[in-house]
Amino acid sequence: MSLLIRQLQVSLTQQSILTNQVSALLQRVTSSLPAPLCRLAPTNERHYRTMPTHGIGRWKYLLPKEVPRKKRDKLQMKPIRGSTATEYGSLSVKVSGYDMTVVEHYSQYIHNLCNRLGVRVSESYALPTKSTEVMLMQEQGTKMYIDALLKTHERIVQISSMTATLCPTFMDVVLQNQPEGVQLSVKEHVERDFLERFKARPQLEGLMAQVNQRD
Amino acid sequence: MSAPVVKMAGRCFYQLYKLSNSAGRLASGKTGIRQFSGAVVQNAAEPWRLLGAACVQRLAVISVDQRPLEAKFSELMNQMELERSLMSDHELSLLDDKERLRRRQAVDYDSDEEEEADRDQDIVLTQDLEDAWEQRLKGFATQPRARGVVDARLERADRCLAEPLLLLTQQEVGPERLWLLPQTPWEAGETLKTTAQRALSATPGLDLQTVFLGNAPCGLYKYRMPRSVRDREGLTGVKVFFFKAVVSGPLPPPAPSSLWVRQSELKDYLKPSYLEKIRPFLLNL
Repeated sequence: MSLLIRQLQVSLTQQSILTNQVSALLQRVTSSLPAPLCRLAPTNERHYRTMPTHGIGRWKYLLPKEVPRKKRDKLQMKPIRGSTATEYGSLSVKVSGYDMTVVEHYSQYIHNLCNRLGVRVSESYALPTKSTEVMLMQEQGTKMYIDALLKTHERIVQISSMTATLCPTFMDVVLQNQPEGVQLSVKEHVERDFLERFKARPQLEGLMAQVNQRD
Repeated sequence: MSAPVVKMAGRCFYQLYKLSNSAGRLASGKTGIRQFSGAVVQNAAEPWRLLGAACVQRLAVISVDQRPLEAKFSELMNQMELERSLMSDHELSLLDDKERLRRRQAVDYDSDEEEEADRDQDIVLTQDLEDAWEQRLKGFATQPRARGVVDARLERADRCLAEPLLLLTQQEVGPERLWLLPQTPWEAGETLKTTAQRALSATPGLDLQTVFLGNAPCGLYKYRMPRSVRDREGLTGVKVFFFKAVVSGPLPPPAPSSLWVRQSELKDYLKPSYLEKIRPFLLNL
């Protein structure tokens, strides 16, 4: 700042013309010369590291850590691959049965087998359990009473690509290791199968039906 | 397995490629290139006959019996699981009933002290339910796992329920009748898989419902004809493509000239060179 003023003064004396504007400018400049450097800008209030007052005024670190609540994203469907001349498209291998441990172990076996044989598994999930009530007629009378409650568990291993040459071998291994009491089915994966995973929302469906009816 | 098929196909292509290369060189007038021996050259006049065959398996219906060590171990694991488990609803209700009965038979029993919910609980006791179930279980008769008489008859499809069986048919191949996997010659315009399906339906007396496990063959058997046949009929040899299938639906009744054999019995019926080529894709699990 002082250099600037000195230059101005030099130019002025050289020209030897002292206009009102220039004098006013000079006065404004001299009057606005700052005193202590630390008050130049309001953000520059931190004290240097070696100063004893370093870190004075910090308070945010004292507050308890607030974990931001993650909003769970809606499950997205992975793209369904179509079949080519040498490869099958998206297949879903469904394992179902009454005994949950056997069903789960068999689906885990199939998944591990796919990993070992190089068949790419896109997803591995469970469908909601279906309960079946077995009702018997009473010997004397017409009333039915509940005899047993059977729960059918279903597990699905979704395969994204399998070569046609590997398929017979893979199917043979899987069928020969099928345990008793477990049903196996290998089908093409369709979008409807994906939608089956979600719970039915009767209120929403009723409203949609109403809206469609009006149209 | 598919590996041998790929290797053989690769070798055929390589031979054809070498042949076309040598032909080109000869045409350009360069001499001094050795001609291939006659055994490798394949002309259009001496073709290979293609056949489609079906490798039909009846899978095991029941699990294999446990060995003594396995039986002991499974018993130990079940006992441990039982000791560590919590009581189920049924067992808790049994205990409740016993407690209620004991209370009722006490000297200073006052029925008004009984809770509202427990007052009308003596219509059907849990112990009665258990007795009824036991009666029903006694009326259930189980089948024996190993049936010696049935297992010895090779033409029955329900023999050896604990092991997978393979279907063999007797066919006329040249001058002799051999036991083979059902096969039939390929006709132009159809896929080899449909040939294999036709081979099954063409077998006389066989009423079978099958599911083919894939569209690609699982194995290949190449048989070169002896020189006399090659010169007489102009046929270099025969290639048999195998397709895997599994029996679905009810088991078929016995049919003439068809057998259901275990893998250990195959060597008694099949020729050694044929069996050697089949073994790679038969899974012995």
